[in-house]
Amino acid sequence: MVKKDLSIMISGRAGDGILFTGNLLAKIFKRKGLEVFTFRDFPSNIRGEPTAYTIRASEEKIFGPSQEIDILAAFDCESVLRHLNKVNYNGFVICDSSEQIKIDSTLKKKRKIFNIPIKRLARESFGREIFKNVIILGVLSHFLRLEFNLISKIIEETFLQKKGREIVEKNLKGLNLGKNEAKKLIKEIYQITLPTKKDKNRLLITGDEAMALGALIAGCRFFSGYPICPASEIMEWLARKLPAYNGVVVQTEDEIAAIHMVFGASYAGVRAMTATSGPGFSLMSEGLSLAGMTEIPIVIAYVQRVGPSTGMPTKNEQGDLLQSIFSGHGDFPSIVISPATIEDCFYLTGEAFNFADKFQCPVIILTEQLYGQNYQTVKEFDFTKIKIDRGKLIKSENLIKDKPFLRYKITKDGISPRVIPSLERGIHMVEGNEHEETGYRNETPLIKEKMTQKRMKKLETALNYLPKPIFSGNEKAEIGIIGFGSTFGPIQETKKILIEKGLQTQTMHLRTLWPLQIEILKKFINSKKIVFVIEYNFSGQLYFLLRQLVKPSIELKNIRKFNSEPFSKYELVEIIEREINP
Amino acid sequence: MKTINKYKLFEPTWCPGCGNYGILNALMRSALELNLEPHKIVIVSGIGCSGRINNYFKCYGIHGTHGRPLPIASGVKLANPELSVFAVSGDGDAYSIGMSHFLHTVRRNPDIVYLVVNNQVFALTRGQASPTSNLGFISVSTPYGTKEYPIDGIKLALAAGGTFIARGFSGNIPQLVRLIKKAIKHRGFSFIDILSPCRVHNKVQDYNWYRKNIINLDEDPSYDFGNKQKAWERINTFEKIPTGLIYVEEKPCWEDLILGKEKAMSHLDLKPEKYDYNPLLKEFY
Repeated sequence: MVKKDLSIMISGRAGDGILFTGNLLAKIFKRKGLEVFTFRDFPSNIRGEPTAYTIRASEEKIFGPSQEIDILAAFDCESVLRHLNKVNYNGFVICDSSEQIKIDSTLKKKRKIFNIPIKRLARESFGREIFKNVIILGVLSHFLRLEFNLISKIIEETFLQKKGREIVEKNLKGLNLGKNEAKKLIKEIYQITLPTKKDKNRLLITGDEAMALGALIAGCRFFSGYPICPASEIMEWLARKLPAYNGVVVQTEDEIAAIHMVFGASYAGVRAMTATSGPGFSLMSEGLSLAGMTEIPIVIAYVQRVGPSTGMPTKNEQGDLLQSIFSGHGDFPSIVISPATIEDCFYLTGEAFNFADKFQCPVIILTEQLYGQNYQTVKEFDFTKIKIDRGKLIKSENLIKDKPFLRYKITKDGISPRVIPSLERGIHMVEGNEHEETGYRNETPLIKEKMTQKRMKKLETALNYLPKPIFSGNEKAEIGIIGFGSTFGPIQETKKILIEKGLQTQTMHLRTLWPLQIEILKKFINSKKIVFVIEYNFSGQLYFLLRQLVKPSIELKNIRKFNSEPFSKYELVEIIEREINP
Repeated sequence: MKTINKYKLFEPTWCPGCGNYGILNALMRSALELNLEPHKIVIVSGIGCSGRINNYFKCYGIHGTHGRPLPIASGVKLANPELSVFAVSGDGDAYSIGMSHFLHTVRRNPDIVYLVVNNQVFALTRGQASPTSNLGFISVSTPYGTKEYPIDGIKLALAAGGTFIARGFSGNIPQLVRLIKKAIKHRGFSFIDILSPCRVHNKVQDYNWYRKNIINLDEDPSYDFGNKQKAWERINTFEKIPTGLIYVEEKPCWEDLILGKEKAMSHLDLKPEKYDYNPLLKEFY
């Protein structure tokens, strides 16, 4: 049987090592030239609670996980019962026969179940249950006719340097063990063949890694942050890589320190960034306001998770859209951009530093757990596309002797010249109180008014430079769909299914969330008969913004999901169809 | 120019008799005697009366957020270690809202001079009790006297691994100049808690009170500021408040441990063609 779009879920308990198996599988599919998207469904604990990791491999470009599973590989029977309803009726379940499992035939449907003593094999052959991970990989390698050489090469790459030859050999042994065991049970008629394509110039990368890499290439040499799901991976990746490029990563005592250290480093001339999620961003808001007031460029990668409060730290939501835009006291400009895809995480982060330097304000890269912590195959990044533009950063020769340097000079575009401290003629004051052009404190009403206007002017100036939305579909379609962030995958698939059903749509995926691109939005919305606004939150935060600021001539339909799961393939299709043909 | 005038900016507007005048003067004299150029100095101040110092001392200045001058100063110093970086806080800034940053900066040991102007009261916000106010201190926020015991930044710094710990008094400028100069020369985090009377909001601890209640360790030849055990004993002897150099230790500062070999990060050429970025992709193939 040939499968062009396959989803495998590996399920067990936290601590089982599911991430290991899934990541290897993702890499195998990637090397086979397939498009890959992974989906972590992990609890926020370390050991014990049920976890699942789904790897989707497809011949065609995909932008998100599938909520339908073709193969469920489970380490315990509870996992089978928990996830069986997601497995296609004619799908497969591989489960550990060490546990006796009885599945009611009404539940089982046509699904085929293979019982394999995975844990027992691991214990008997290695004395350690942890080898169940590579044994199940062996089982899958037979099931999916995966090339042994390819897997053994990836195992070697993974372990040889870090753990040595012995561990490589043990894993290869486990792989064979699983494969041979599978041969006994999974007959040829059940075997699945995946297409093979050329794996050229592609990467398998998470959004967090892509943002970290984008930052480094853009010249970021300073990072300070505080560990938080699902953004820590940005700090961890940079902590490994920055020192070789003369950069520094500081793990601070809290997010307040993190943003202020970024502020100090950026003021002194380094491109600097922090990364966080909702709770950390809340703490950062006073630093955000300071950077806004004093016009110091800072970049924050904001990887949303489910809130409020500690919420669900390892799950996906878009509930912080408004916080990302309106956080911080007082009127000050800040820019919020949002990668449409994991690939976009790289390029937009590269751009973010230019925006921060050019417009001298906080730039927030707003994304979500679904992108931050999941892998996707992307086209190899083109580093030459990252240009470095430091805006109005001026050099010593442009400074006039014996004249005070006007760091906050009122200009047409609202942007003033900036110097890196240490220049004799550039001495100035960075003042969190209201200040005049020199930077020194001045709280007179006229200055307050002028300086507020000057700062806010920068948003207007920025509008033309900020990332444009991604449009797709039929321009003449009467149905429009608007989204941002991780709804990209579901929206694209919905568009495809609707075309098959004879419904034309045009989609618009926003990549700049603040300042809102009102004219572009107005044009799009007003060209449609009906426009759906899709988002992962309860309150309809994007819908709220569009209604208040775009003031569209037609009624917008808001589709919201807030149970932490992404839209499944037909979910959006059904809702849209219901709206159109009630 | 060989006078402190080269550091002068606006006329200070602190209240008459405020300890901040003496501190500002001591800082200017120290900078002058050590030949620090205004454009190579960054002073990061917190929020409070002491935070106004940036308006009176000509150099690169940051007047940021309440309690956060140390993280800001740390960022500046790591970005460009060639700058002389000072942070100035009040006792509210340092020991109340900024306490966590204080302890963590002490343990990181960046080469920063930290002056805490300790007047045992929130003066700018008009006289509320602070964490260093004595038990029973009557203020607008503690009309029946504080019911909390005060904390001592010196003890905290010693416990957190401080490498330069001193206490000054704004009524003794020559000593303060000596301490600040030593602090500037010390390679590491140099912390000076400066007892500084607020004549408006703290009527209890005035200049006379301090003169009666402090002792000067610098005048005690038997005191060994290199002995941590002795320092701990000394600051826990309650008869009088010790001032002077309390503890000094040489150990690698943060920049020595964390920074790369190149010059200051702030002056790196960031053009992508300057770097070989391709090895970074290997793990993603």
